[in-house]
Amino acid sequence: MSIWRDIKGTIEPFWITLRNMFRPVVTVEYPEVRTELAPRYRGRLILTRDPDGQERCVACYLCSAACPVDCISMQATEAEDGRRYAAWFRINFSRCIFCGLCTEACPTMAIQVTGFFEMANRNPLETVWEKEELLVDHCGQEPDYNFYHHAGIGVAAARGENPGEDKPVDVKDLMP
Amino acid sequence: MPEWMVILLLIVAKLGLIFMVLLTLAAYLVLAERKILGRIQLRPGPNRVGPFGLMQPLADVIKLLTKEDFIPTQADKWLFLLAPGLAAVTALLTFAVVPFGPPITLFGHEVPLVVCDLNIGVLFFLGLSSLAVYGMTLGGWASNSKYSLLGAIRGLSQLISYELSMGLALVPVVMLARSFSLTDIVMAQADVPFALVNPLAFLIFLISAVAESKRIPFDLPEAENELVGGFHTEYSGMRFGLFFVGEYINLIILGSMLTVFFLGGWMGPFLPGVVWFSIKVLFVCFFFIWVRGTLPRLRYDQLMHFGWKILLPLSLLNVILTGAFLLWRQG
Amino acid sequence: MPTLTIDNQTVIVAEGGSVLDAAIALGIVVPHYCYHPALGAVGACRQCAVTILEGSQKGLKMACLIPAEDDMQVSTCEEEAVAFRAQVGEWLMTNHPHDCPVCDEGGECQLQEMTIGAGHGIRRYRGNKRTYLNQDLGPFVAQEMNRCIQCYRCVRTYKDYCGGEDFGVMGSQQRVFFGRFKDGPLESDFSGNLIDFCPTGVFTDRTNRFRTRSWDLQQAPSICPHCSLGCSILPGGRYQELQRVRAGGNRLTNDSFICDRARFGSDWNNHPKRPREARISGEKVEFPYALELLEERLEKLVEEYGGETLRLLGSPRASFEANLLLKKLAEKYGAPAPYYDAHPRRAFAARMAASIPSGQLASLKQLRESDLILLVGVDPLAEAPVLALALRQAARAGARIVALDPRPLELPCDFEHHPLTQESLLRGLSAPEENELLESLRQQLETSQRPVLVGGGELLGGEGLRLLLHFSESCCGSHDCLIFPVLHGPNSFGGGILGATGDSNRNLIEDLENGNVRALICVETDPAIEHSEPGRMQLALSRLELLAVFDHLPTNTVATADIFLPTRTIYECAGTFINNEGRMQAFDPVLEPGIPIVVTGSGGHPPRQFETTPPGSAPRSAVHLLQWLLKDRNDLFGLRRQIIKELPCLRDLDRLAAGDNGRRIADCGDTLEESRTEIWAQEGELQVLPITARYGSDLYSRWSQSLTSRFEEPSVWIHPVEAAERGFVNGQKVVLRTVVGHFHLPLVFKAKMARGRLIVPCLPGTPLEVFTPGGLSLPCKIYSEVDNA
Ligand code: SF4
Ligand code: SF4
Ligand code: SF4
Ligand code: SF4
Ligand code: FES
Repeated sequence: MSIWRDIKGTIEPFWITLRNMFRPVVTVEYPEVRTELAPRYRGRLILTRDPDGQERCVACYLCSAACPVDCISMQATEAEDGRRYAAWFRINFSRCIFCGLCTEACPTMAIQVTGFFEMANRNPLETVWEKEELLVDHCGQEPDYNFYHHAGIGVAAARGENPGEDKPVDVKDLMP
Repeated sequence: MPEWMVILLLIVAKLGLIFMVLLTLAAYLVLAERKILGRIQLRPGPNRVGPFGLMQPLADVIKLLTKEDFIPTQADKWLFLLAPGLAAVTALLTFAVVPFGPPITLFGHEVPLVVCDLNIGVLFFLGLSSLAVYGMTLGGWASNSKYSLLGAIRGLSQLISYELSMGLALVPVVMLARSFSLTDIVMAQADVPFALVNPLAFLIFLISAVAESKRIPFDLPEAENELVGGFHTEYSGMRFGLFFVGEYINLIILGSMLTVFFLGGWMGPFLPGVVWFSIKVLFVCFFFIWVRGTLPRLRYDQLMHFGWKILLPLSLLNVILTGAFLLWRQG
Repeated sequence: MPTLTIDNQTVIVAEGGSVLDAAIALGIVVPHYCYHPALGAVGACRQCAVTILEGSQKGLKMACLIPAEDDMQVSTCEEEAVAFRAQVGEWLMTNHPHDCPVCDEGGECQLQEMTIGAGHGIRRYRGNKRTYLNQDLGPFVAQEMNRCIQCYRCVRTYKDYCGGEDFGVMGSQQRVFFGRFKDGPLESDFSGNLIDFCPTGVFTDRTNRFRTRSWDLQQAPSICPHCSLGCSILPGGRYQELQRVRAGGNRLTNDSFICDRARFGSDWNNHPKRPREARISGEKVEFPYALELLEERLEKLVEEYGGETLRLLGSPRASFEANLLLKKLAEKYGAPAPYYDAHPRRAFAARMAASIPSGQLASLKQLRESDLILLVGVDPLAEAPVLALALRQAARAGARIVALDPRPLELPCDFEHHPLTQESLLRGLSAPEENELLESLRQQLETSQRPVLVGGGELLGGEGLRLLLHFSESCCGSHDCLIFPVLHGPNSFGGGILGATGDSNRNLIEDLENGNVRALICVETDPAIEHSEPGRMQLALSRLELLAVFDHLPTNTVATADIFLPTRTIYECAGTFINNEGRMQAFDPVLEPGIPIVVTGSGGHPPRQFETTPPGSAPRSAVHLLQWLLKDRNDLFGLRRQIIKELPCLRDLDRLAAGDNGRRIADCGDTLEESRTEIWAQEGELQVLPITARYGSDLYSRWSQSLTSRFEEPSVWIHPVEAAERGFVNGQKVVLRTVVGHFHLPLVFKAKMARGRLIVPCLPGTPLEVFTPGGLSLPCKIYSEVDNA
């Protein structure tokens, strides 16, 4: 009968909550105690460099397109040698939800997550990070990849000199 | 020292004591509630201020006192300022009639452990609890905000509805004790507490009391997630604090009333009466907190439905049954 | 109209449509590269394979090449066709580089979409990739040849459609290369169309290099403001900067093509000196204050001296709505009807064009379909570039093109050129029966099926257009002989409609010089540039008591105005233009006005601070400012409804939507019968004719920094025979003396121009900017520099 079910449904939770009161708490007392982060923990983002020490980010706007909260903004520009890079690159960490979608979108392995998460701040403007602060001096989790060696448009090496490329063709050649 | 002066001093001391105890208790009840709720949810609760978070109430008071006292421009200023006081004062006044122990002898005087043993204590209590509605209603109305107004309207109709069954649940008690004085009611329970004599009345009163306290599962006037705090949305700082304290004093009052009406007041073996009384009141308070940690909020129509279609007929029935029982016993 | 079934869905396609057209109409994606609606199909890429189940040809076919037939059954998902398409997709991708992240096409790349659509996702080819060396193709178009898939669309666009001659396909086998014979800027005035038409990232916009992705752009359909044709464009902006312009698609006008002036000449919108704050006598003030002050001063002026002392000047670059409100403002203050072009001759030409019966006006589409086109006093590449494209399409279809013009015309097609001087042209038109050439042309016009007469308002003026109209009526009795007037600005025609009611013999400058005018309001125009005698105009302006200017360009008049109010550009507000054939076309705002982030951040990251400018302090549109003065609370739609009530010939105005094909006006009234006496110089005296230069002379390109590389060097042109008679050699420095001043210029020989005349292109930023095209030729003297000394 439904009335018994209702009464049971009202009484039973009391038992559950009562039991809970005597269970050990699960809270980790954060500043004193630190948990072990998972190896793929998604914390603060960094911009890494390629093995040659150049900025990896080519300012392709893919991460900003992937970001569900639109917290990445940038402006691409061109260097003397044709390299595309970010004139400025900004992440607003007070908006970032650390979902890591930007890192998945990144075709050059430039933007990567780290285990660093202590960014709380009283001044919201200080949680807006610019490229200078985001850029690190290492390759992060991807030690080998160098986008411009595979791009096939001759920035890191001359055209036709990268792995997997033939020398530029001579269009005026008539040989078969 | 003339005798009237002694009596006066005693009364003043009693008043001061009750006042102090009540306010401190209310403050720590807040802490207890947060701790208990924390434990129910496998958290430690507040534990940063002082050992075990014991200084938390103090920190809260300081915080509330130093916050900006904000009055909305469109508010009815006088009523807005008056309402929280009204809420706290009515709650405090009710305690005047609560007997919290058997009379004791001090300096050769028999001192009743009640501020004022009115022979119509029950009616006084019911009257004041109705007055308490004003604090909330005026607060909600004066804020001139849709949330507050909605909260106030909800609270008003809820309290009126449940007051009815609450009053009716007390009729059997009065019939059993044959007195309106709270002290007499306690005395009548010397052998068996009324909770056992008339469990139905106890249950109805208990439920109505929770409703009266505007706490979960009956916290529709506040309903944070739909009314953003209800009647006290627009209040801040110490004025909000007054509403808050009022609510917890009210909790203690209701606990005391339950104790007095149904749990045998200060009656109990071995321990002194005051201690028994305190234990019972505190247990009822704990029970209220426990309910809050356990049950979800009702829907508004469920609340009204339950009040008018179930509780009210039941309490009327109970009055008739009790009367019949008493007649049968006499006859 | 054949009805066929594709994947069990039935569709009707236009006569001559292909199976691919039918699939596109149904929204079924059949990957394709070499087919483009404007270019047609050639079957070069082999990507569009489908299976024909029922029809005159059966089996696996290229959808773009098979004409749709009645009762045809087509499937796009037969296994064989699916596998074929995936295979072709994979082949096309074998040499494609791995560079989408650094390619500007990424995000709007047909290759990206169609490769995935073809079912090829993961590369299996592990061999080496072919590479090319790129060419430097000048400031507008960047090349990255490695991305090419050999679909040949670029050649078909540049050479076949646009008639460019310096670009083509070279090499053989795996070495096919699309470019110029050697590095150098592309010469065609339509080179930018390569960017739209190449389905890959081989050709990208150099002026917008690496600046944005399509998904970040704010885009809205708009109308090109550079000339009177009103081509549909699709501008895109980001970070408060107008970044690029692409061609829109209006098959009745420009049909997916625009000229380079429109595509690369849009950065006037971001001009660093663009005035963005209201000013009173040069001091910056809040704009509501300036507006209130203007109202106050106008009211005081009208009260004291009467409305006749107030003049209003609209403009061919302001929207039709703004120009109309100006007329209402004149009514409100009791001022004479506004002028709509500071240049009296151009204004008359616009009024004359606007009075031509609308059934007699040709559209660019009709021009493309014509079989005989007579160009009278018009240089398409300078005055209306896309007209040249339409001429080429007509010529490709077999039309004859005859041009009568004193200038050394160049057109991307074969044509017959008769270099008559302006005066002999006008005289000829006034008495065609006495002119052999015109008489013979008249006979040809009579016998052709769909002739169109193109008249240049700049050279002919209103009088010439009237004569041309009479000429057309005399020779095309049996069938419609259409007229295609070419005017000055995007809304010249609209100004012509509004100005038709005014007294035609009024002249702004004489008005001002008479001395009883005390105040002038200029809306989005600079009379000192636009008027035929800039110096005289400047003097007249300086004598005004109150000069109020609403504008968005950093002109000199803006700087000297007593009250200046900034306005929004056409990329920042909505409105309507009426083009040279009376087509009303609406444009939508692309951007919010504001200082571009590249400026606020000076190239680096924008400053990290909270916004301090109060909302609403950005410039308002001219329409909004005028509505404020008129206390008119209509929104744009309401305003248009109101316009229709007053001008029933614009009855479709409220049904316009930006991006549609626009709607023709109905006849607004009788053809203007008034004529204006012009004194035409005699043959034999040396005259100089100021003309519109291809780049820099129109209303906006003088402020477009990316076009400056295309600005010509100032020079004076002469016919070689003429020069020989006077003993001049090509390139010689000469002194040209005219009423507007004397100039030291190099002499340039042009064999195809009229004799007895000198020609100077009007170029901004050079001494020649004091010339204004649109007038009659001026008497002049020419000396070699040595003689002069
Ligand atoms: S982690 Fe997620 S929210 Fe944060 S920047 Fe990347 S995509 Fe955006
Ligand atoms: S996706 Fe990677 S390469 Fe592209 S802009 Fe973001 S960080 Fe740079
Ligand atoms: S350059 Fe572009 S349009 Fe030309 S063939 Fe290659 S892919 Fe096609
Ligand atoms: S032809 Fe005229 S309207 Fe068309 S795109 Fe060129 S400048 Fe603009
Ligand atoms: S689109 Fe049909 S073969 Fe290229």
